[in-house]
Amino acid sequence: MRRVGAALLVLWLAAQVSAAPAACKFHRGEHVVLYSAADDPSVLVWDSRARLREYHAASFDEAQAMLPHAILVAPGTRAEVIDCVPNYVESPIFRQPDDAIGVVITSGPHRGSARWVLGSDIRAIP
Amino acid sequence: MNVPLARFTGTLLMTAFLALTLAFAVQGTFETRAQIASTFARQAQIQRAQLELEELLRLQIDEENSLRGYSLTRDQFYVSEYQLAAAGYDAQENTIRKVLAAQQLLGPLRLLRDYAALQSSWRAQVARPLLRHPRQRLVALDKRNKVFADYQAESGVAIRQSLAATDAQLVRTTQMQLDRSAYVRAFWLLAFGLLAILFNVYRSRLNRELEQERTITEILQQAFRSESVPLPHCEVGSAYVSATNHIAVGGDVFDVYRLSETDALVLIADISGKGVDAAVLTAFIKFMVRAIALRCSDPAGILAEFDVALSKAVGNPYLFVSMFVGVLDTQTFALKYGSAGHDCAYLRRPNGVEQLAVTGPVLGVMNEPFASRTIQLAPGDTLVLTTDGLSEIRNRAGEPLGAGTMALIESADPRAQQLADDLVRQAKARGGRRLRDDLAILAIRVLDTEPDRA
Repeated sequence: MRRVGAALLVLWLAAQVSAAPAACKFHRGEHVVLYSAADDPSVLVWDSRARLREYHAASFDEAQAMLPHAILVAPGTRAEVIDCVPNYVESPIFRQPDDAIGVVITSGPHRGSARWVLGSDIRAIP
Repeated sequence: MNVPLARFTGTLLMTAFLALTLAFAVQGTFETRAQIASTFARQAQIQRAQLELEELLRLQIDEENSLRGYSLTRDQFYVSEYQLAAAGYDAQENTIRKVLAAQQLLGPLRLLRDYAALQSSWRAQVARPLLRHPRQRLVALDKRNKVFADYQAESGVAIRQSLAATDAQLVRTTQMQLDRSAYVRAFWLLAFGLLAILFNVYRSRLNRELEQERTITEILQQAFRSESVPLPHCEVGSAYVSATNHIAVGGDVFDVYRLSETDALVLIADISGKGVDAAVLTAFIKFMVRAIALRCSDPAGILAEFDVALSKAVGNPYLFVSMFVGVLDTQTFALKYGSAGHDCAYLRRPNGVEQLAVTGPVLGVMNEPFASRTIQLAPGDTLVLTTDGLSEIRNRAGEPLGAGTMALIESADPRAQQLADDLVRQAKARGGRRLRDDLAILAIRVLDTEPDRA
């Protein structure tokens, strides 16, 4: 009976560990630079994290239709992290889910805008 | 099935199994080689497609960068760069399409079509509007360009992954083929080895049996062979050599036997069979002919009686005997003889050698009458009786001695024993130390001393 109880406890602990939320790569208050690793280094920033996710899961035509909800910022635009949802964005191409990062743009023509951007499109300022 | 036939069949079967196993092993090796070569060729084509794809993606970036350069600087240089990259892109896309189609890589081919469709849309929706209105820089176009860039990057990655997956699958297939080839080859090697061991055991047993049989045969022949029987006014010489081939030993017999004070039985015979059975039959011939000759002094009668006795004693319809029977009067030197198909009897006289005619058919074949002939021997004459082991001895070119036998006899030493030994030596020399058949020689030379004529 004791052995069964111990085994159940071990299983419960293992389940808790595997279900623990993944940590974000960026944290609130962190200053970052926007820069895309794709062929075009400019970055699309979105008015909501849901659209950010939909864009990466959408077909090409669907993605084009969503463009009015995005702004294109030049590479090197500065921002400050205000929120993070880990592993929120999934794509058939990504090897693993990416974070959705909420930022306030702090430079360029869109300074002051609060938007959502893909975790891999931002770099920490050393 | 008789023993020699069973041995031959066994040897043939084992050899056939060995050859078959070897053939399977060799054929399997070539088949695997062909399969692996085909897989490697396909893999080489996929790797070529991967390299061509990287070139295509580079040309696409060149095209996009040229357009970006033109958008920023309005320099016509970038337009020509753009056109150059676009032409290169189109040619490259065509090349990859052909490679993928030739290799039936439908997955990557479908992804390439998607990529090409994106590129085509990009040219229509981004590149051409920008080239047409270089003064305008529309934010919407930039955003659209970004979407194209993202999707083309994703599409490029998808093609890369698809090709890499196919390549990995081929590597796994090659590995499996190599493994399978190793297992199959090991199996056939094992089978071949086991069969070779079995074959060796079988051959060893067969050789042992043959050796035992040969020993028995030789012992029997030695036991039944006539020792030198002295004949008045005559010199007797003999020789017997067994065949080098074990299976061929045992079918020749000769005998010299005193029937009375004056008469002597002279016999030589060749049995068609070989081995222990034939050796035993030589004893039967020797003693049966002696027994008949004691009652009947006519060689034709001896042969006729023996023929009847042989057919009753031996139930083998394929066995026959060639025989020369002579009754020599050692006082008058008159030789009365009968030859049942035995054409290896010669008379050597000072002026040459003559072959003694056959006077009837071989024994054990047909019931035809035998005849006797009488010849008169003179001092210095030698009766030379041999078996066909001499006339059929072959030289290296495979030609039998045949009619050359008489020349050989003529050139041999005149003394009876030396003549027999000479003929054996010559036969061995001609056959390259190999005798296909047993060889028996009996020589009776009439001496020069004046006989006591009654």
